Amino acid sequence: ARALMMPPSTARRLCFLSLLLLLLLLAAAASATADAAAAEEFTEELLLRPLPDRKALAHFHFRSSAPPASAAGRHHHLFPKAISQLVQKFHISELELSFTQGRWNYEQWGGYDPMSTNNAKPPGVELWAIFDLPLAEIDATWKNLTHTLSGLFCASINFLESSTAFSAPRWGFKLNEGNLRYGALPREAVCTENLTPWLKLLPCRDKAGIASLLYRPSVYKGYYHSQKLKLKSSQSLGIILDQTLTVVLQPNTVSGKQLHSTGGQLQPSWSMEHLFSKKLSGKCLVSKSSRVFVEIEKGIVDNVDKAGSDVSSNNDLFVLSTAPDRSLKELDNLEVQSSSLYEYDVNNYNSDKPLNVGITWKLPLIWSCTRAPYHASRFLMGSGNERGSIAMSFLSTGLDKQLVDSSNDCSIKAVVFQVVPWYVKVYYHSLEVFIDGNSKAISEVVDKIHVTPSEDKLLPGTMEMLLKFPCSMQLATLTLDFDKGFLHIDEYPPDANQGFDIPSALVSFPEFNSSRSYPEADPLFVSPLLENFKEDGVVKSYTEVLLVPLTTPDFSMPYNVITFTCTVLALYFGSLLNALRRRIGEEERGLKKLLLGNCNLHCFSLNLKC
Amino acid sequence: MAEIAGDETPPLPSSSGAEESSLLSSPPSPTAISGDEPPPRTRKPGTKRLVLTASVLLSFLVGLPLLLKSTEIHRSPLPSDAIADLSRRLQSHPPSFPCGLHAVFLRSGPGSPVASLADQLERAISTQHHLLPASSTAGNISVSVTIQSGGGCTSSTAAASPWRCGLLTAADSVRDDEVFDELLHSALGGRDGDGMKVYTIVIAEDDDGKGTRVVIGKHRHAWVVGKVDEAEALSLIGNVFIKYFMNGGIEEGETGIGKGEFMPVGSDGNVVLSFSLLNADPNDWVYDWEFKNIGERILTPVVEALRPVADINIESQVLYHTPKSSYSYSDDKLGGNVLSMGDIPFFVNSNEWHLDTSISATGRSKVLQFVVYIPSARECPLYLQLPDGELSKTNAFISPMWGGVVIWNPPGCSVGSKKAHGTRRQMSSQELMETLEIFIGQLRQLFGLKPNYHAQGMDVATKFLVSEKGFAQWELDLLYRHHACSNLLSCVATLESLSSLVQSLPRMIVMDEIGRQVELSLEAASLAQRNATLGIGDSSAGKFGTHFIAHVRWRL
Repeated sequence: ARALMMPPSTARRLCFLSLLLLLLLLAAAASATADAAAAEEFTEELLLRPLPDRKALAHFHFRSSAPPASAAGRHHHLFPKAISQLVQKFHISELELSFTQGRWNYEQWGGYDPMSTNNAKPPGVELWAIFDLPLAEIDATWKNLTHTLSGLFCASINFLESSTAFSAPRWGFKLNEGNLRYGALPREAVCTENLTPWLKLLPCRDKAGIASLLYRPSVYKGYYHSQKLKLKSSQSLGIILDQTLTVVLQPNTVSGKQLHSTGGQLQPSWSMEHLFSKKLSGKCLVSKSSRVFVEIEKGIVDNVDKAGSDVSSNNDLFVLSTAPDRSLKELDNLEVQSSSLYEYDVNNYNSDKPLNVGITWKLPLIWSCTRAPYHASRFLMGSGNERGSIAMSFLSTGLDKQLVDSSNDCSIKAVVFQVVPWYVKVYYHSLEVFIDGNSKAISEVVDKIHVTPSEDKLLPGTMEMLLKFPCSMQLATLTLDFDKGFLHIDEYPPDANQGFDIPSALVSFPEFNSSRSYPEADPLFVSPLLENFKEDGVVKSYTEVLLVPLTTPDFSMPYNVITFTCTVLALYFGSLLNALRRRIGEEERGLKKLLLGNCNLHCFSLNLKC
Repeated sequence: MAEIAGDETPPLPSSSGAEESSLLSSPPSPTAISGDEPPPRTRKPGTKRLVLTASVLLSFLVGLPLLLKSTEIHRSPLPSDAIADLSRRLQSHPPSFPCGLHAVFLRSGPGSPVASLADQLERAISTQHHLLPASSTAGNISVSVTIQSGGGCTSSTAAASPWRCGLLTAADSVRDDEVFDELLHSALGGRDGDGMKVYTIVIAEDDDGKGTRVVIGKHRHAWVVGKVDEAEALSLIGNVFIKYFMNGGIEEGETGIGKGEFMPVGSDGNVVLSFSLLNADPNDWVYDWEFKNIGERILTPVVEALRPVADINIESQVLYHTPKSSYSYSDDKLGGNVLSMGDIPFFVNSNEWHLDTSISATGRSKVLQFVVYIPSARECPLYLQLPDGELSKTNAFISPMWGGVVIWNPPGCSVGSKKAHGTRRQMSSQELMETLEIFIGQLRQLFGLKPNYHAQGMDVATKFLVSEKGFAQWELDLLYRHHACSNLLSCVATLESLSSLVQSLPRMIVMDEIGRQVELSLEAASLAQRNATLGIGDSSAGKFGTHFIAHVRWRL
């Protein structure tokens, strides 16, 4: 109304000005989005969590992203050049490489949260990749890729090159169109020589920022560590590289310093310095965001609620040594509060004021982690060097009782994926299923099965199986018989008598999802770590690695053969020469001569005198 | 044999030396044995012994072919004679490329020039070529002369290049050099094509009193402006041709192209230029660059120009926390930190500078690293000190076959300058372009050319026109010639050493694949040599590899 009252010229000018302003704003916004789309980014995050068995979990997460550009693989500012060239050269659309030492304890450390489903990996090396290539070219590309990764990470990933070492699962591992390849090396030893090239991919390496906490002696002293590299590449998003390192450590606390040093101490109070022997003094300068989270699990949160206290950083049960910048509530996929997160922005800390987050317990506390519906484990049966059976057991953890109404026709699905090397010749027809100790028909339990039988020295055996267990079930066991094959003497590893490792089987429960949501987080708060937690995560667990003793040849056999042959030859030639050389008749005469020794001597002396 | 076996008796313990000698000298007979020995055998050995002996012999004879078969070694025949022949041919006639020298005299005077004068001048120039140093890759030179004056043109009989008569006069030479260069280029047909290379030197007679000067153009020509008499002109033509067009201005005793230096080109003809910006300490300042746009724009002409010699790919990256590994000391007089020449070998910190060999550079390609080092606040500004105490103008150095380093002091950095606390800044496009120019100079040096020319040894003022490609046409010719030549020589050297190795190790396995590769390489080498003498220079610039050597496996 005021504009109407204004003289027309002023109104026009105002209109023009506002238009100009709008245009400017638009241009600014456009340039801002263009900048955001064109820039490479790096973020670093660390999540700490106390574990029920007096240990602590540290999960490092680094994300580098490169925008899609024609210059990809050639010009980079933050993103590692090597990875970008790898993606370009091998046409990778997804790749995951993990190096793990130790076994994730699904009972104690959790089996139903994003950490265990995404970051618990089988021991040794596991590599899978999805290629954006015609199916015929994939195997050759995979072989080249293993060699490149092997050089890049100082590991013997090149052993996955042989067709006996990798397989192409269709749905048991991850649903795909035949362009996925999967391989695992359970016996690969993981150490600093693998960590250093992994750190080299970070812009600040371990010189600054969160990665500077990675003090090697404390990391490798831990109970479990798994370093992972996950790549996603697409035309629209560019390349996203997620590097994670998950370690389970025993806090190195001095008992005198503890709050409850007397008797009933259940949980040690710890801080970053106890875990890594270092404090965090500032972020990596080129990182977009740098955060540390402390996660308090549902078991503790429930206890705090029971104690009637509010779940803050300082409550009746515990106190965090530094006041957090923000606290978040996690809801699991059933919209129930599962845990609390406390966030620290590393931006606010520097070398003069280092960050040393810790947790101090005020009361002794016992809690347990949420577990997967079944605890899966795998073992060998039978004895001798000829045959045996693989058994896989599923022990109910009682989770289904809480979640699902135990009516008669209710069932829980489980997918089993396992790869067995060719020298363990599995007879898939011998599959037997026992539920609570009773033998069941296969058709009752197995919904879908896909088997690629092994071929000698050519293909490993792959089994993908969808199982359906009744909800009331306590224990299910599957058994498979196998014969042990014979290897050529050259194919045995140096320590053949130790036995052969069969890679872990993967069991996933497609009806259970471990994803989390954060309803209170403001939309501007972007954290790749929490984004990963939000992603759809089917509950998975890896079984143990199997150690199969195979018949080992007598490696001294060639030596024995040589000695025996030589003995026979020596006997032959010896007797031959004897036969040729000796004169039996003359020897007999010689004997006579000996008898007549005296006479001989006499004759000799006579001869001399003559 | 049976007989000998029968006769054999152990030597007797002899009573005296004489008796023993007689025993040995005379064939032992039954009579020689004294009576106290067992009596001699009376009958011949039976057939049993004969059979036994024969069976031993037979078993050896049967076993012999088996033994030979089991220890047999497969050796593919190598054409060692042909290799020796080729190497002898190359030694007696080093590969040489024929080229032409065309001298054009622009006379300002009227009247038609005398035809015989051109021929006379041609003979005069031809006689100078004994000056050509032996190391030059140029072969027989055909000389031609054209004289243009007001009345028209006269060419000697063997005129090799098309000179468009009248398009250009001596008066044009007063124009801007760049303009004249292009005019001259068009007057000569405007082609930089293949085939025999003809270098043109134009003598423009111009009496403006400014004295004589020589200008060397971007293409295959140079011109002399000024008042020069005939003898002086002839010596200038010879000088310019031999010194620059043939030898790239490299003096005797200097390192450079053709002086035992290798070209940094992989044996598959690929080169990766990897540019890295190193922030020594990001806590002080973080610099970024717009390499993608500016770098590509400046370097693309260079890459295009060098395509006949090598296939070049360009990459760039920015790295952080990359301190240098040598110490610098503070010098108040020079107003900064100084790094002396002796410390340069330790400058490149291979522990912290993960420059990376490129994954995209496959197999045998060569990676050249070009590094911009931004010093930290503590060591800023950082200067390179030459042995004579002067500061380096470019603040850069090269390492042959590895690449080059430029130390770039960020603006506003001085001794005791405050830390900017991790502010992120851009390297300005002007500064980036200047840095890239230094890199192009370093690339020229790595290829064995001079980073820039000084008119050494010339008694007249010499000017060089700088091509935007970084390499003038005549310099590229020089590179092609040298590259083809060194490729050919290294190929023959490899073949020769392989053949002598195979000959010296008679138990070495030689696979069929190796034999085939050797034959292929030999064929390619002979072809390249023939092409070189025919003057089909750069296309044949032998891209045959010497890669087969990697396949050679042997057991000792």
